[in-house]
Amino acid sequence: MTGFKETLKDAVRQMSFRTSLDKLKKKGVQQVNVLGIDRIIALIEAAVHRSLKSRLLTTDREAVADATKAEFLRLLRSNEDLQRQKSEVEQARERAEEEIDAMRLELGEKQRALQIKLEEDALVLASRYQGEDFAIAQKVAAVVQAVAKDPEVTAQQLEAKLMEVVMDVVSGEREAAETARKALQDREVHNLQRRIKKLTDTLSVTEQRLQHVSALKSVDGGISSVYREVQGLDGGDAQAGKKKELMAEIFKANLMLRKGGKGA
Amino acid sequence: MSDTKDTDTNVEGQKKDHGVLYIGMDLGTSRTSVSASNGVRETIYSLVGYPKDVVSKKLLKKDVLFGKEAIEKRLSLKLYKPLEKGVIKYTGEDMDADAKANLQAAKDLIGEAIRLAKPRSDELVYCVIGAPAEASMKNREAIIEAARAHVDSVMLCSEPFSVAYGLDWLEDVLVIDIGAGTTDLCRMHGTMPEEADQVMFEIAGDAVDAELARLITESCPGVQFTTQMIKEIKERYGYVGDAPERVTVELPVEGKPTPFDITTQLQQACSILIEPILQGIKKLVATFDPEFQTKLKNRVLLAGGGSMIKGLDTAVEKAMKERLGGGKVIRIEEPIYGGSNGALKIAHDMPEDYWEQLK
Repeated sequence: MTGFKETLKDAVRQMSFRTSLDKLKKKGVQQVNVLGIDRIIALIEAAVHRSLKSRLLTTDREAVADATKAEFLRLLRSNEDLQRQKSEVEQARERAEEEIDAMRLELGEKQRALQIKLEEDALVLASRYQGEDFAIAQKVAAVVQAVAKDPEVTAQQLEAKLMEVVMDVVSGEREAAETARKALQDREVHNLQRRIKKLTDTLSVTEQRLQHVSALKSVDGGISSVYREVQGLDGGDAQAGKKKELMAEIFKANLMLRKGGKGA
Repeated sequence: MSDTKDTDTNVEGQKKDHGVLYIGMDLGTSRTSVSASNGVRETIYSLVGYPKDVVSKKLLKKDVLFGKEAIEKRLSLKLYKPLEKGVIKYTGEDMDADAKANLQAAKDLIGEAIRLAKPRSDELVYCVIGAPAEASMKNREAIIEAARAHVDSVMLCSEPFSVAYGLDWLEDVLVIDIGAGTTDLCRMHGTMPEEADQVMFEIAGDAVDAELARLITESCPGVQFTTQMIKEIKERYGYVGDAPERVTVELPVEGKPTPFDITTQLQQACSILIEPILQGIKKLVATFDPEFQTKLKNRVLLAGGGSMIKGLDTAVEKAMKERLGGGKVIRIEEPIYGGSNGALKIAHDMPEDYWEQLK
């Protein structure tokens, strides 16, 4: 019983709202009547017990009271579950958003790194060729100078011959070096491209998940009604007969309205 | 126990087997209030705003704004007040673009009001909307159409009737519902009120605002204000009869906040309600069964946002004593929710098969 009272107290607290004296004053409220929560709980209990006592036998009363308490607790739990589910969905959304941010950051960094790498490789390659060409030219010049001392061989013949030999060597070297460098470069580029593709795919999947979570969030869980079944007029109502007639008239007017006639 | 409950599904195909949510709605020119059987009670200004362009849409991050939020962001919005004199503006045969926009705004407002009631998707939602007795057929159809998009079944009823029903006063009672656009008087005698039982006039909250604006403009040279500012002053300080205290408000004059004592102007503006109310009471009492006239005069209910004007009940009672030989006026406890609470009670009491037939 004490536990139920505490639960009821918690429920009343949850349904209440906080406001400041300033806000009340702004609304033009100068004085407020204060009613303690214990008093409210006692009033609810007294009202329920009095009502049950006047309408039901002892056994029925207890059964109805137990059923009502159970239903109250069920509704409370149902609302708590909804709140928890809502909070979980919101957390999932936040996590998804964080993941996307991190992925976007990583993707950006990788793309920048790839660009820098490609530019660096182009520079290194150019400077290496320049060095090699210079070395080859020097070697050729040295050979030409040495042979020039032999009067029987013309300079053009010799130079052409030497250049042929040297260019053979050089082109072979270049080919080998180029193949090696290309293989290395291709591997890096391929790795980076694979990583980018993977990140892009993951980003797309996560964005879809985010959209799904956002859609879920917009479908608010709502708050449970106190009624599990359709109600209708209470037969014990002092004005039940009159109310029944009024309900029939309202319905009739609405039915006519729906059919395009005058009413409601 | 409903058999149909187990088979009902919503548009997403979800089973509606969790319970039944009843919603009562008071669709007013100034405010729209909802009361629901899950304990939710909410009220919003009947204002709808749509972003003016793509930039404002991106900035506001919303397609449509309502109530106070719409007022606050009004500079970036196309603002609509879809209800006028208690009914949706311009619902007729030949609708121009403005009329269509207003109708859409009214639909969005009704949808928002229902969302405010926080319905669960697995519950049946049955709604009763209090609409002015004067609403046209097209208007009622528009309200029903707007609501049906969000609920399982919906009915309309007369606003003053729902106030009286909410308080269980079904016989020999005269309800005065002071809204923003209209003041409706309705006499109840145990059956549904007919045309002869109702009196409606357009001197209501908006008319008081207009009169107060006129009086302030006349007496406070150079003063600047908006309708919303005037409305807030009236809602906070409005009174008739003897002034409870001096009313001083700060209003800008050439950009500088300047204090003005508007005690007299406020009293004069609010007092314009009394005479037409008295005329309405007189008409409804005089045409009532003579045997029950005294009883009717002693059961006058004051409801609606306008009834919050301080001293109005006493002032009407005093005028009734002088001109009708007596009477008793009772202000309902919750003027903002009186209509929606009554509509909720009607929804609760409505038999299941009626709801089913109107699905």
